[in-house]
Amino acid sequence: MTQGFKFKNKKAGDRALDIITKILRTLFLLGMAYVLLYPVLFLLSNAFRSPVDRLDPTVIWIPKTLTFNNFVLADQLIGFKDSILKTCTILIPSVIVQVFVCLMVAYGFARFKFKGRDVLFSLLLFTIIVPTSTIIIPLYVQFHFFDFFGIGQLLRIFNQGRPVSVNILNTNWPFYLMSATGTGIRSGLYIYMARQFFRSMPKELEEAAWVDGCGSFGTFIRIMLPNVGSIVIVILLFSVVWHWNDYYLSVMFFVDNYPLSVGVTVLQDRLQLLAESMSAADIALGESSILEAACFVVILPMLVMYVFAQKYFTGSITRSGIVG
Amino acid sequence: MEKNTATNTNIQKVEKRTGRKRRNGERRNGGRKSGLMERQSGNGWFFIAPWLIGFVYFFAVPLVKSLYYTFTKITITNDGLEFQWVGSENYLTAFTVDPDFVRAIFSSIGSIIYQVPIIVFFSLFIALILKQDFHGKTLMRSIFFLPVIISSGVVITILKENVFATGAGQTSSLFQTGVITELLVKSGMGMPLVKMITTTVGQIFDLTWRSGVQILLLLSALHNIPDSMYEAARMEGATEWETFWKITFVLISPTLIMTIIYSIIDYFTDYSNKVMRMIVTYVNQGRYEYSTTISIIYFAVVLLLILFADKVLSKRAYSAVN
Repeated sequence: MTQGFKFKNKKAGDRALDIITKILRTLFLLGMAYVLLYPVLFLLSNAFRSPVDRLDPTVIWIPKTLTFNNFVLADQLIGFKDSILKTCTILIPSVIVQVFVCLMVAYGFARFKFKGRDVLFSLLLFTIIVPTSTIIIPLYVQFHFFDFFGIGQLLRIFNQGRPVSVNILNTNWPFYLMSATGTGIRSGLYIYMARQFFRSMPKELEEAAWVDGCGSFGTFIRIMLPNVGSIVIVILLFSVVWHWNDYYLSVMFFVDNYPLSVGVTVLQDRLQLLAESMSAADIALGESSILEAACFVVILPMLVMYVFAQKYFTGSITRSGIVG
Repeated sequence: MEKNTATNTNIQKVEKRTGRKRRNGERRNGGRKSGLMERQSGNGWFFIAPWLIGFVYFFAVPLVKSLYYTFTKITITNDGLEFQWVGSENYLTAFTVDPDFVRAIFSSIGSIIYQVPIIVFFSLFIALILKQDFHGKTLMRSIFFLPVIISSGVVITILKENVFATGAGQTSSLFQTGVITELLVKSGMGMPLVKMITTTVGQIFDLTWRSGVQILLLLSALHNIPDSMYEAARMEGATEWETFWKITFVLISPTLIMTIIYSIIDYFTDYSNKVMRMIVTYVNQGRYEYSTTISIIYFAVVLLLILFADKVLSKRAYSAVN
């Protein structure tokens, strides 16, 4: 990309400037990398540390004996396998549905003029800024007595005057339903992002499809979706990360069988309990190492995912058919 | 299906050839309206229907219930929650009795006015650097993605307790500003200026941890700018400075607005924010109705600010539509 800027015949002064810029850039990036990596390296270093090494002042970064004991202990206390599996069963369907619905709604907002669109869009903005904590209690009640979007209320004549409702708490359904209706975790933000993107796309392609007799939904599926490019990757990435990290909704909606993010806090509580009951100094010391090992397990998959997703970032420009 | 794809590729070719010229024309005319699409307003409703259901059912109804709570006093009894109508008492408390609330709102808005530009500018700067070709750019990009992963989860709270508490990671102590201050004062700078510089330096840590999402958004926008634009600019003999302002900046302006809005929202809903902390504290104290009251006032204020920002900025942004 940047090669585009470079001229073939450069003056010596330009070349010197180039080198200086490169050095400055490297120094700046290294400094930034230090700021960002410090906590993670700290985590990594402590996760592999034995209690003895924690006390040893000569050990600064690299522990003398590498131990996986912290990971094993953390696994025994919360069970990584179950909690990761739980997270995945929530995450995968929810993310797919969420991304599709958000793109669809965003397309509707970006391309069609209808009465009250701007008002509805302001309401959408409103859903972004109101944090879930404001509405969590009514929402909890809603899922406890879930009446199928009001259908249960209508069915009350068949049920001795009481509305038909199901308790869907402690299942994955609250997540699926909220994702499918564009109100899942940060859905509003994704809709806003995708709408901004659709608006910057030229209209000619869609018009051509229209002229050819393609319906509006067909146009969306066949023309817009293949051309959205990197915005889908970004939304997908955010969606996965925020589902993976979600704590607030999970802790409200699940009674047992927690996803991983909640598991970490459960681990924290259990470790405290252990430390209190045994009141031994070595447990208190090992405690934070175990917790740090668990934190590392939480971060790692997302980091690996980003490294892979990254490739599509650069690739998406060449694949998208539209210039601009 | 096949026929459609064939037409598409043709159009894409034409589009590629004439894209630039046509776009320029559009901008000058303020955009050509397409009558065909606008007549189909019913389809718009079809597209937003899922969101509309969700909005009503999972947002509006709970919000109205929450709103109702703000006019009541909630007591927890054995049979569950009991609501007692108290009228506007909670609102009156917020504005006239509570000594902190109004002040906290003003201080939040005040700090946003200088925080958001710094965050956006910083993110743009980093995104421009990360877009360049250099060795280890994949690694660097992954490193800058760390805040997105970490700061959105429970990990950050644990990190704050364990890592930052042990010393070196603290905002202020990460950079030794004492030496810089002395140096700057000796070189003849005024004290207010020195203070401004040192606080900015001290904020770098906070800044990098806050701008992960923004960097990612801008980076993807930068990647969406076709190379042909830059090639054309180079052919015309534009300098890099001109290329940046006339091509890069113009084409990423919609994303830039999004970044600004996101930064405002992120700053307002961050739990380190004074008002947000108040909201959480009141919930923990069991004053759910009062907590909801202040959060509703607060978010009404934020919404106004965002709508204002969106209105003012959107007019100036580049858009292929209008």
